[in-house]
Amino acid sequence: MTTLEFANVSFAYGAQRFIEQLSFSLPEGELVGLMGPNGAGKSTILKLAAGLLSPRKGAVFLGKQMIGSYSGKERAKLVAYLPQILDLQAPFRVGELVRMGEYPQKGSRALSVDEALHIVGLQEKAKQPLAELSGGERRRAYIAMTLVQGARVLLLDEPLASLDIKYQFDLYRLLKDIVREKGVSVFISLHDIGMGTMLDRLLLVKHGQLIAQGESESVLTYDIVQDTYNLNESIGEYMTANRTVCRALAVASLQ
Amino acid sequence: MKRDNDSTFLIAAALCIASLCIIVVSIASGQRLLNPFILDSETCRTLLAIRLPRTAVALLMGGALGASGAILQGIFRNPLADPYILGISSGASLAASFGLMFGISLFTLSVPILAFIGAIATGAAVVVLGHGWKGLQPERLLLAGVGIGFFLSAVLMLVMTISVDDGLKRAILWMSGDLSMVDWGLLHVGLLFILTGLVLALTRRKGLNALTLGDDIAYSLGFNPTRERLYLFIAASLMTAAAVSLGGVVGFIGLVVPHVVRRHIGSDATVVLPLSVVAGGTLLCFADAIGRTVAAPLELPAGVIAALIGSPYFIYLLGQRKSR
Repeated sequence: MTTLEFANVSFAYGAQRFIEQLSFSLPEGELVGLMGPNGAGKSTILKLAAGLLSPRKGAVFLGKQMIGSYSGKERAKLVAYLPQILDLQAPFRVGELVRMGEYPQKGSRALSVDEALHIVGLQEKAKQPLAELSGGERRRAYIAMTLVQGARVLLLDEPLASLDIKYQFDLYRLLKDIVREKGVSVFISLHDIGMGTMLDRLLLVKHGQLIAQGESESVLTYDIVQDTYNLNESIGEYMTANRTVCRALAVASLQ
Repeated sequence: MKRDNDSTFLIAAALCIASLCIIVVSIASGQRLLNPFILDSETCRTLLAIRLPRTAVALLMGGALGASGAILQGIFRNPLADPYILGISSGASLAASFGLMFGISLFTLSVPILAFIGAIATGAAVVVLGHGWKGLQPERLLLAGVGIGFFLSAVLMLVMTISVDDGLKRAILWMSGDLSMVDWGLLHVGLLFILTGLVLALTRRKGLNALTLGDDIAYSLGFNPTRERLYLFIAASLMTAAAVSLGGVVGFIGLVVPHVVRRHIGSDATVVLPLSVVAGGTLLCFADAIGRTVAAPLELPAGVIAALIGSPYFIYLLGQRKSR
């Protein structure tokens, strides 16, 4: 089992403390969301989980080992990370990009390049330059690369940002399928409350501290959301509308 | 995917055939037209003493500059990066110009050796200054290179202003990419450094691809971005230093050849690096052959001819991309 675990993790950028004694674990085969206001520390938590940043205190475990103790190739077989901002200028063609997912483990990978391209619906665009793709297609190409990488834990920083509602649901369905069929754990940061309610589990953070975690219904209550985001009374109406639309679309997309 | 590989193979084969033809043209052309297939004693002498070393240097220099450009554009994630943006050529030019202008000629290879020392010393200084707390970050490395390059160029201008006339003319010619003084003496040393740099770069080709996507993704794919960038920088520096010391400063090739190659076969470093070597070498060889033929006995610098031939083609390619 490859679980990701934060054990009393604290982190600071220079003298500024950013993450405070954060503890949680990410079980295998779940789609887990990370929510919180801007500057709450979501991207930092994902970078700590990927091993890109090292905790000042505490430890991040991947399986039974600390993430920093793996070699680059071993780590890449277990965990894959996609930043929020993807390079618009990357000069590669779609197929070339997706093939890079083979670097950590050629031969024993979970999916072939063609299969991954098929899953993200880009098999017809393998020879097209990335720069000529829409934002949603480009993100799906990067996700296909991550699928070929065959990691057991996927860390995606705001993968829904800048996608229209169709692409958001395409991506949601894709991630759900990966979790269900491959038993992969997916950990994504996001802002959309409606989308958040559809995930298996949620972590809500503010000022680098965990405010709530658990099933999305129990985390996204009016009181917790209002308190975390410092919102006024109108949030109730917004949340109800947002949830209703998202649920209807999600049900339709999964049928 | 298979069709992709087939078209890449066809383009590579066509380029290699074109390259072989241009090598024959380069060997044959000059003040006196030679038939390389009919070898009398005078032809042999001219071939061995002048044409072959010159053609070999043009191929090596152009190849090294093409590959260096492909590496630097990848590690800096900047399409305008070229072998001269990092100040390496300024360091080589300054050191070599000192030799040319102040008559430092301890032995025949003193100028190229000075150029090589200048290039390597500048490359090392750029790495030291470009290393911040987050490792070798592309922006910091680039700024360090540009800063050092401007400083060394300013010193070079100062030295040229106060130098004697004869040395000045030779220095200016050398800085325009002058292949008229090459001989076998330096060739094997240049070949050794260029091959070392190229082999090092080819072993890091996957790292180069990954760095082009950004450090975070490179790390996620299992690479250490700082280490990969350092290896690739050393590879590019070795090749640039060897190229500059072989025949002076030839611009354009390192900047444009990798773009032209990518335009035709995609951006995977596994094919871009070797094909940039072939395309860069072929272009400089062709440019040198034209430069020493069209206005003979006057010789036009190969770098100038390469830019004159290559720029319109590059602009044509850009126009094609826009219209697609």
